[in-house]
Amino acid sequence: MAKNTSSSAFRKIDVDQYNEDNFKEDEADAISATVGPDENEITTLLTQGKSVEALVNVLQNAPLRCKNQHVKDNALNTTLRVLLSIKSSQMDQAVEALEQNDLLDVLMKYIYRGFEIPSEGSSGHLLQWHEKAFAKGGVGCIVRVLSDTNRA
Amino acid sequence: MAATLKPYLTAVRHSLTAAMCLQDFPSQVVERHNKPEVEVCSSKELVLTPVVISRNERERVLIEPSINSVRVSIAVKQADEIEKILCHKFTRFMMRRAESFIILRRKPIDGYDISFLITNFHTEQMYKHKLVDFVISFMEEIDKEISEMKLAVNARARTCAEEFLKRF
Amino acid sequence: MSERYTFGGSLASITCHAWNKDRSQIALSPNNNEIHIYSRERNDWKLSDVLNQHDLRVMGIDWAKNTNRIVSCAADRNAYVWSQADDGKWKPTLVLLRINRAATCVKWSPAENKFAVGSGARLISVCYFESENDWWVSKHIKKPIRSTVTSLDWHPNNVLLVAGSTDYKVRVFSAYIKDIEDQPSPTPWGNRMPLGNLMAEFKNSTNSGGGWINDVNFSADGNKICWIGHDSCINVADATNGNAFVRCKTQYLPFLSCVWISPVSIVVAGHSCVPLVYTLVDNLKLVLTAKLDKSQKKESSGISAMRIFQSLDRNLRTENSDTNVDSIHQNAITCIRLYAGEKENGKKISTSGVDGQLVIWDIDNGLNNSMNNLKI
Repeated sequence: MAKNTSSSAFRKIDVDQYNEDNFKEDEADAISATVGPDENEITTLLTQGKSVEALVNVLQNAPLRCKNQHVKDNALNTTLRVLLSIKSSQMDQAVEALEQNDLLDVLMKYIYRGFEIPSEGSSGHLLQWHEKAFAKGGVGCIVRVLSDTNRA
Repeated sequence: MAATLKPYLTAVRHSLTAAMCLQDFPSQVVERHNKPEVEVCSSKELVLTPVVISRNERERVLIEPSINSVRVSIAVKQADEIEKILCHKFTRFMMRRAESFIILRRKPIDGYDISFLITNFHTEQMYKHKLVDFVISFMEEIDKEISEMKLAVNARARTCAEEFLKRF
Repeated sequence: MSERYTFGGSLASITCHAWNKDRSQIALSPNNNEIHIYSRERNDWKLSDVLNQHDLRVMGIDWAKNTNRIVSCAADRNAYVWSQADDGKWKPTLVLLRINRAATCVKWSPAENKFAVGSGARLISVCYFESENDWWVSKHIKKPIRSTVTSLDWHPNNVLLVAGSTDYKVRVFSAYIKDIEDQPSPTPWGNRMPLGNLMAEFKNSTNSGGGWINDVNFSADGNKICWIGHDSCINVADATNGNAFVRCKTQYLPFLSCVWISPVSIVVAGHSCVPLVYTLVDNLKLVLTAKLDKSQKKESSGISAMRIFQSLDRNLRTENSDTNVDSIHQNAITCIRLYAGEKENGKKISTSGVDGQLVIWDIDNGLNNSMNNLKI
């Protein structure tokens, strides 16, 4: 009896996780945009001064369903670059264009992600973006960022 | 610098309003229990995406919502050593009396100075918009208090030093 | 026009409410383990009975209009069916739910011979009466529910049931109990309907993940269902249209309750404290047609412009001394019931909320004015 009760590691297993009734995330959704936005294309658009188009492009190709954290981080950096390069005077026009393409929620997601990695002056700029996006989307837009399981 | 204060507080206010949509939810893990899901984290589907709103590298607010509770953590601006000590003492004072504050958490989350835990029971007894107002004014007041305390400490230190050095 | 009531003087939240057939009595729970029955006395309400068989918070109440029975379920894993005795007092009958977690919601079927209870045990109990032992027994619907069932509604054919859950899915099940009823005829939702058969399943959103289902409702003819998710969206699915669904993203806080008031209109209400009416246009999109709460922002008296600017300057924020929200309900609305009219033609609805108020709204006026402007 002493031999097989020497290890008590079995007491520490969380049995509930093996319950087959547990909530499982849907696995089948890795289809759309597993690659993320094309960085070169975005850089070209930015140097040409077409920042609003660059923003629409980067948000449409956002890898929200992708499970690869690396891809998501790259997309995040690209998106932040675009967001920070758009000047305050152009923000209204950009938000208009996004609303027509139904991309306001994606914008809000990236704004909040951008807050997590603050750099010189970035937070101030993102706060302005937040104000503009909120003016169009209302609290509903923020609620959708909180409730969406596909994170930016 | 002050130009970011108002947008920062507005952004926090809107995010808190969105996160504080709580409903009563009996635990689905333990029968007859009702636990704040954000603290227990027993089921993935009941916890929402945590969001951060930052004003600069040092001042941040973390909001972690769930179905019946929300946790708000605040990182206060601490520019030098003396402010760090004052902030630590001040928040410790409040956290030790967390019961009287009702919504205050006894320990802050890692990386932050003070945390609130608001549950559906609180939103049933108190107005939601007033809870949000409270958190926002708390954030404003804590900066003021720490600055005042710092001035007071420096003034006392100066007086003490003068008195001591008068001897020589 | 709206009528507002509070019950018993205390401003405890009303968890849920239910009306009897002629709307002379109301059963509600003041956020505890009791159910209070109030009778209307001209313009006021008199407490006629207190039902306190439950141990923990009452989560759902439903009143069967024709058979005059009340069913209630609570977080203590129990449900009771109450019948009125000759002296007017309500007597409970035990229900064997056989669940090991809290019950969350309950609804009588249209024929009132059975009712369904959703629970945190990830299953639905469909209960019917067994006269040999004088109790209600249940059959379970379990697969493939993966999280707490938050809301239920019955199809008019008394067999199909729609359930919303915190696993982000809406499911239509068959709740056919062969002991008490005949085989149902085929519907647009499907032909074979054994108990527990999943007729249709909808994810809250195909593009984005997440969003717990807060409420579900069948339309009057049973071919459409509407559901509201925690992502502030309203969705309508149509069985006659190949289960296609229409989604409407709103800019309001999430809704908690919804009910059909016409073949194309839905009333929703929730954390934003005002009931709204959305209408299905061309079967393609949902459009906001009316706000039932027409309260104006309260004018504060005697504050001069100079003082407002001074305080702005000092505090860097606007002076907000309003404790009251500028709407009739001061806190979230949790329950909507049809007060006058049916699902195909709702005239009045009643809403109860966390602020302890019950408000009866008149839909006709609001809708007519806005429908005139709506071009189809």
